[in-house]
Amino acid sequence: MNTLTLAIQSTNHSFPFTVNQRLSFSGIVGVFGHSGSGKTTLLRSIAGLNEKISGSIVFNDKTLFDSHSKLNMSAETRNISIVFQEPRLFPHLTVEQNLDFAVKRCTNSQLNKKDIIELTGISSLLQKNIHKLSGGEQQKVALARAVLSEPSLLLLDEPLSALDRKSKKELINLLKVVHKKLKLPMIYVSHSSEELQQLAEQLIVLEQGEVRNIGNIHQIIHQLNDTQLINQQTSLTVTVEEINHQHGLVQLRFENQKIYMSLEQLAVRHKKEHTQHKLRCYIFASDISIATKEPTSSSIVNQLKATIADIKLDHSQVLVSLKCQEQEFFASISTYSLDKLSLSIDQDVYIQFKASAVRTLTF
Amino acid sequence: MTEFSDDALALITTLKMAGVTTFFLMLIGTPLAWFLAKMKSRSKVFIEALVALPLVLPPTVLGFYLLIAFSPQHLPGQLWQEFTGQQLAFSFSALVIGSIFYSLPFVVQPLQKAFEQLGTDYLEAAAMLKAGPIDRFFSIVFPMTKASFITAASLGFAHTVGEFGVVLMIGGNIPGETRVLSIALFDHVEAFNYSQAHSLAFGLIIASLLLLSAIYLLNHKPLKINNNIEQS
Repeated sequence: MNTLTLAIQSTNHSFPFTVNQRLSFSGIVGVFGHSGSGKTTLLRSIAGLNEKISGSIVFNDKTLFDSHSKLNMSAETRNISIVFQEPRLFPHLTVEQNLDFAVKRCTNSQLNKKDIIELTGISSLLQKNIHKLSGGEQQKVALARAVLSEPSLLLLDEPLSALDRKSKKELINLLKVVHKKLKLPMIYVSHSSEELQQLAEQLIVLEQGEVRNIGNIHQIIHQLNDTQLINQQTSLTVTVEEINHQHGLVQLRFENQKIYMSLEQLAVRHKKEHTQHKLRCYIFASDISIATKEPTSSSIVNQLKATIADIKLDHSQVLVSLKCQEQEFFASISTYSLDKLSLSIDQDVYIQFKASAVRTLTF
Repeated sequence: MTEFSDDALALITTLKMAGVTTFFLMLIGTPLAWFLAKMKSRSKVFIEALVALPLVLPPTVLGFYLLIAFSPQHLPGQLWQEFTGQQLAFSFSALVIGSIFYSLPFVVQPLQKAFEQLGTDYLEAAAMLKAGPIDRFFSIVFPMTKASFITAASLGFAHTVGEFGVVLMIGGNIPGETRVLSIALFDHVEAFNYSQAHSLAFGLIIASLLLLSAIYLLNHKPLKINNNIEQS
């Protein structure tokens, strides 16, 4: 398994930037943090674009940087590629020439250019001038170009932040496919927990230049529910079981529980193909309500029996964590409801949420 | 007929001087402009002022000090004589060296501006695609700032053709060696040979006009490229 060992300090920050971490790439590694948290500094340090650092960076036993022994491999020799927030396609070259720029400089070419063009779906764009492309198309080309340089590590610096929701969905699917087919270690940096929740297996949370949390994506997102960093939510992986076109619903399963999602969440062309596929979903805590008795005559399609694991007060709101078998759920209710229902820890209750409350960015 | 062939010789000398000067100007001016564009130290202002000095100084001031420096009594002139066996003052080489100083801002300034506008984004992107510094210069910097290179070379060439004060001081008016068009014109006027002076002067006006028009025509294209850079 690929590993990246970081022991770095950066001096070009208003606060001390210190990251000491060993990352194993079992899937895409996500880095979350708000503006100025040090995400980009981290990525640029790994890439070799940040000169104001000290410490060491080792990728798979190869030392890329070590200030102690004054070793600093230049960015072009690290065999690392970046997809930046803005695509940075060379404006004096066509799409194909941009791809060729990477191919020509790749010394040990293993990938077939045609395959990558097909994989990224940019065959029709090859002869186009880059400023004739939409934002989404530009990022696809930037991704193809970065992949064609055949890096041993691909860094993605908020590549979707400037895109509309439809393009975001497309690119997220594409990144998943690229990661799966090429087995390319990736670090994906974003201030959007929504994007990271779809892509990352592990999540690192940076705050004020330090690692605040690190671990499994769902667990870390749940840990962040106690902070102001994200919208309080339940993050879960489900299996797509059945698509009900008549009612416009998708039946999903986790453990042995069934829940329903609105069919509108899936892109039209994928509706049939994806049964039995794994799907990452999230449900905002404000979209989940709690009932003490089984709601037998409610229009809300998702009703699950759960046990209250924790109750946290936050001003006039309460964040209730619930366990439904092994899956954690989070519901945000008012203190009025807490008092009215006399909720307590270990109490068995029913949680309810609409099919439209189950959200995803995949497909 | 003799005067005509003298003028033709002066024209050849001028073109040769401007051509050689432009070649060296690009060779020296490009790294200097790059260095200034990337420089963050406060001393940058001083170097910029030094480069721009010929824009404001009377050319005779530059010519005067160069004449002193080129003389065999001073170190630059002595070193030159030692290595080449020839005197530097009143030689073609002296004209070229003088012209390099004189036309330097016309080459450095447009290039520096172009390099500053280009920024680092594309260079970083190229580095991440395994392009080294020299590769980046020829594959990214040069093609994206080509129009500025053409402008810099044309302005350097045109300005060198038009110089008078410096060549008057360090040239010496030797036919086929240091007698350039501007000096030939001056000679015609001094000898009251106005018709010959007219044909030279008018020829220079037309040639310069054509050259400058060509530069401005080319400059419409870089504007488009720069817009694209900003948009993307």
